[in-house]
Amino acid sequence: MNWFKVITLTTALTATAAMAEVAVIVHPSNAATIDQAEIARLFTGRGTSFNNGSKATPLNLAESAPARAEFDSKVLSKSSSQMKAYWSKLVFTGKGTPPKELNSDAEMKAAVAADATAIGYIDAAAVDDTVKVLAKF
Amino acid sequence: MKKVLLVTAVAAMCSHSVLAEVNISGFASVMGGKLTSGTGVPEFGLGPTFLANYPIVGVYEDEWTFKPDSKFGLQMTADLTEGLTATVQLVGRGADDFEAGFEWAYLSYELNEHWTIQAGKKRLPLYYYSDFFDVSYAYLWVRPAADNYTWQIFNYTGVNAQFNYQLGEWAMSGNIYTGREDDGENKLLSEFFGSQPVREIWKDIVGGVLSFNREWLDVRLTYMTYLNERYRNGVQVTWDGKDNRRGKFAGLSANIDYNNWLLLSEVNRLTLDGGDFDTYLISAGYRIGQWTPYLSYADFDSEGEKHNTASLGVRWDFHSSAAFKFQFDDVTDDGINGGQVAGDSKAITLGIDLVF
Repeated sequence: MNWFKVITLTTALTATAAMAEVAVIVHPSNAATIDQAEIARLFTGRGTSFNNGSKATPLNLAESAPARAEFDSKVLSKSSSQMKAYWSKLVFTGKGTPPKELNSDAEMKAAVAADATAIGYIDAAAVDDTVKVLAKF
Repeated sequence: MKKVLLVTAVAAMCSHSVLAEVNISGFASVMGGKLTSGTGVPEFGLGPTFLANYPIVGVYEDEWTFKPDSKFGLQMTADLTEGLTATVQLVGRGADDFEAGFEWAYLSYELNEHWTIQAGKKRLPLYYYSDFFDVSYAYLWVRPAADNYTWQIFNYTGVNAQFNYQLGEWAMSGNIYTGREDDGENKLLSEFFGSQPVREIWKDIVGGVLSFNREWLDVRLTYMTYLNERYRNGVQVTWDGKDNRRGKFAGLSANIDYNNWLLLSEVNRLTLDGGDFDTYLISAGYRIGQWTPYLSYADFDSEGEKHNTASLGVRWDFHSSAAFKFQFDDVTDDGINGGQVAGDSKAITLGIDLVF
């Protein structure tokens, strides 16, 4: 089973090398708090509101944005392929619609800053005072 | 997966035009395969055959073929705003010579954050994989095991109400539905299990699905009852002197996705004419980066018809929207008293599934 360990280890190392911190962001006026399980519920279409009862609109980054893979793996504990398979099942059975996708950290920040119900995420290094950070992973 | 187009739709009933956002998405599979050995059923004059898909009669024989599992689907959803959407899904399958038809066509209205009502034509959500059977990218194997997914009717036209609730750590979702299906010339009954045209009717369909999800665990319950009527060559078929019979279907499925281990299972029973048709499926896979090797075993058991399939394969997620799959299937047909389906067979299948 040595080959098996090598593959697992290589995968782990490759993943670690690319790791950067992801910041989950909301509109500055949003007073909600959130934990990882609640974020995962919103981004898998299983929840639609914050814990204070107000409406939540999750926004995703496109696969081309580096923080997307980080978010999928750290917060949702899935690979981007697994998430695509998950959403395929819901989309083609009429049970759900994936979050709208934005192309970059800058577009995400602008969208979150403009919508009091939005929740998104960006590379933690890109955070500024137009948005509020709820959690970092 | 999401391409947004802005189209101007001129509503025939209105004098003004409305702007609707239309999402286009789709899926496709290109799969080829052949038998490596097979007995066929000499008493029916059937040569070596691997019946990979019952309802659409997808069969592999001695020569390579791409027809049984290849298909493409195109879905268009028009967002009419305020919770109303219209969806159509066009599916073309190799087994039908890629003649595309509207597999789904329904209106959907979001009542509130928990409930959505849908009306139109949809897939019957009987087994776990029934309603996304064509979207092979969404599951592990080349296809859900044929021994479970044997039923000749797979769509219905009617009304569906679906719901979504959070119960503490558990996400609860499901749907209740009612409707009917009248299949003018049923492919499985007309072409494979007979040589005369069979019109198959499932009416008074009432069913429900209840799912519970929590992190790595997914449990699903399903129940459906229907009234079956059938015409062979235009003449109504009777069972014990009655021109209809009631079927009752129940199933339980449990799936685990934990630390790269996948464990998938379902067990189902259809009671029809006082007989039980029992099916189960169990499968395990282990994810190693982009590779997921898997094993599966599926079984069908009734009074006369008895068969099972053991499968071994691998899924390789080589691209962010596409997966390569290779699968070996070993079918044992233990049917008695004329209950054989296609005999024993061994077959290989390989190809690509994708979504966009």
